Amino acid sequence: MSEQVIGSGTAAPRNIPIRKRDSNSTVAIRVRNVSKSFPGVQALRGINFELLSGEVHGLVGANGAGKSTFIRMLSGASVPDTGEIEVQGSPLLFDDPRLQSGAGIAAIYQELTIIPEMSVLSNAFLGKVPSRFFVTDKRRMERRFAELSEWMGLKIPPHANAGSLSVANQQMIEILRAVQTDQNVLIMDEPTAPLGPYERARLYELIGRLKESGVAIIFISHDLDEVLQLSDRVSVMREGLLVETRTAANWTKDTLVQAMLGDVQIVPGSKRTHASDQELLHVSNLALPGRVSGLSFGLHEGEILGIAGLVGAGRTEVLRCIAGAEPSAQGSMRFVGVDCPWPRTIREAIGRGIVLAPEDRKRQGLVLSRSSLSNLMLADLPAVAVGPVIDRSKTRERGTALARQLGFNPERLDAEALNLSGGNQQKLVLGKWLNRKPRILLLDEPTRGIDLGAKQEIFQAIRRLSDQGMGVILVSSDLEEVVEHSDRVLVMARGRQIDILDGHDATVERILNLIFAVESRASDAGVS
Amino acid sequence: MSDADILASAPARQTANWRAQLPTLIRVYGIILTLVLLLAVVTIGNPAFISQQNVFNMASQWAPAGIMAVGMTFVILTGGFDLSVASAYSLCAVVAAYVGQNHAPSVSFAAAIAVGLVFGLANGILVAVVRINPFITTVGSGFIINGVALVLTQNAAFLVNNDDFGILGAGRWHGIPYSGMLLVIFLVFFGFVLARTIYGEAIYAVGGNYEASRLSGIRVRAVVASAYVLMGGCVGLAGCIAASQLSSAQANLDPGIIFDVLTIVVVGGTSLSGGSGAMWRTAVGLGIIATISNGFVLLDISPYYQSIIKGSIIVAALALDTGLTRLVRAK
Repeated sequence: MSEQVIGSGTAAPRNIPIRKRDSNSTVAIRVRNVSKSFPGVQALRGINFELLSGEVHGLVGANGAGKSTFIRMLSGASVPDTGEIEVQGSPLLFDDPRLQSGAGIAAIYQELTIIPEMSVLSNAFLGKVPSRFFVTDKRRMERRFAELSEWMGLKIPPHANAGSLSVANQQMIEILRAVQTDQNVLIMDEPTAPLGPYERARLYELIGRLKESGVAIIFISHDLDEVLQLSDRVSVMREGLLVETRTAANWTKDTLVQAMLGDVQIVPGSKRTHASDQELLHVSNLALPGRVSGLSFGLHEGEILGIAGLVGAGRTEVLRCIAGAEPSAQGSMRFVGVDCPWPRTIREAIGRGIVLAPEDRKRQGLVLSRSSLSNLMLADLPAVAVGPVIDRSKTRERGTALARQLGFNPERLDAEALNLSGGNQQKLVLGKWLNRKPRILLLDEPTRGIDLGAKQEIFQAIRRLSDQGMGVILVSSDLEEVVEHSDRVLVMARGRQIDILDGHDATVERILNLIFAVESRASDAGVS
Repeated sequence: MSDADILASAPARQTANWRAQLPTLIRVYGIILTLVLLLAVVTIGNPAFISQQNVFNMASQWAPAGIMAVGMTFVILTGGFDLSVASAYSLCAVVAAYVGQNHAPSVSFAAAIAVGLVFGLANGILVAVVRINPFITTVGSGFIINGVALVLTQNAAFLVNNDDFGILGAGRWHGIPYSGMLLVIFLVFFGFVLARTIYGEAIYAVGGNYEASRLSGIRVRAVVASAYVLMGGCVGLAGCIAASQLSSAQANLDPGIIFDVLTIVVVGGTSLSGGSGAMWRTAVGLGIIATISNGFVLLDISPYYQSIIKGSIIVAALALDTGLTRLVRAK
């Protein structure tokens, strides 16, 4: 099971598998006065931007600020209405992403573009297969893959099916694919979102090496610490404007947030020291053969229990077991003081009031082709129906109330879920369950890839509900978030429970120490 | 998607005028425009097209394909497909005719519909529970059903000498064919079921995202299987109407009817990938296909050209839909 994400990786590689460039701060990309509008909206307003060779340039902004439009334009997927873009001194030709890679730009988009049925190797060279006389040169591919893997500190079997990899490893393959084309400019849109802290550290190293080789990098992330740590300069976008560019040293997290949000205020998360004594759920000896084992913990009324661990530690599996999504789960459950059999089906768990907001909101959370309103009602249709017939006015009434509760614009209830931002989609997933008034809400990565404002609204809503007695189990790769919002933190590593920390004892450092103590012991013992 | 967010934000929607929304409107309602244009062209070419008698004849003639398209709309909305309908349609007609030779018409029709439901249930179980790809399942079951019909009939036609047997397919009330009435009742009733009931909502949800629906506590397997059962019932009724119209039936009644059924649903704009579409779209699709087929006869267009024009209109309608979808969702 434990497919090692990334190897030791620190040993200096002998061969550097990409070109060394002159990094005399020449201008890699110059953007002059670029604007773009869509029907009824100005997405970009007169953007001026400069990317230097060998520079890591952070780009931050709330969802909807125009970052994605901007980078799609740089990578040639979208054409500006006015203005010009120069790459290495020559103007960019538009319309074809393949022309762009000729122009020396490679991009890693937020959505994974891995083809699950193909091998890792084929995915890594997708669209750029080395060939001789029209026949793919498999040996060259393998050699190059091995070189790059070593350089990037990856240990992924080249002939495995890409679909069988963890999301973190799929993301690393995306990155490898972009790196192997050896371009002068690399655009990374939220590359760390699916990665845990350990994988992130490997990516940071890689970015450092690319930079040394003179590659210019545009780095987009919602994690401001990471942006400040990695970038030479950081630009902030807001409402289609490029508000400001400064060197990283001249920004702080606070000034960045201020620039991103304009006038909006931020309220820090409130933390509770003790929840109610009433135990909602008690889990003993939970095991999912081959994945997790030996978990025992309680969840009190009104409590938010965080689960911290690396990608692959078994966090998601724990939630799925409790939600009845894993029929082979073993263990005993006491629910509101009553022993009951372990739920074997989703419906059984829902019947008890245990619901799961899954990790992948697009694939597991929402029906994208349906309206926001339909999605909100999905989990409890009988409540808004008279017999088999749905009552439309009741539906709208409920939907509007839920939308208000979550800070979702009620005017957009009729929009297809497909057209919403990540933050709004996540609000729908939550709203769908809140509509059922659950006793226990299981949240798997509720804030992945969503902006600060939406994160705040989501956590405020969760806290309000837990104040009313709902129990919450929160899984997130963002350890700071877990620490900030949880009343207690359960630490997991390699499928096992390591410890449960009280809210005031839980710090990111303490959690990481606990995890890496287990990780290093395991690798010393030769378990990988 | 951040830009979609901007696109749909409230002030943007207020300022967006009808011109900006035109692609969306055409995408949603363009298919109605196509039908209106076709009706206009055919009517101008031969005013007899909209005579009461011709309309009633068409309703009767298209009742079997139309009723099967109602069931197919459900199946396609769940993200599935049923290619066994042509064989099952013939088998049900054969059963109706066979039983109708010695029994009352109501008994024979009930028997035929029961056979349709049984094969529908078999398809449903194979697709939803055993989880075989619907395409393969129904191609396979189609062969089996066709074989059963051939064994039963030894490839001979069953004739029914009973005037009452013909009422369902050929009978009329004040000139309105019963079969046409059934078609309209099916479209309206099941249109309502799709648009306004819990079951309809579940059909859309399961087709739009199976896993999300399952995780939301919907009985996904039952919902998917039920669509095939409904399809089977529609096929049974369609077979009865056909047998009744002809007062006879044989094992290879109309193998090409599967294409009519699928085309009616898809031309209407119901997506083959499931989760999006509507019964009114199937009604409009039926109107388009019936107008092309019947109207072109009235216009004296050679049948050879009819095929070419029919094909072109179908492809053009789908190309327009895809193109506009892309335009509307343009990033």
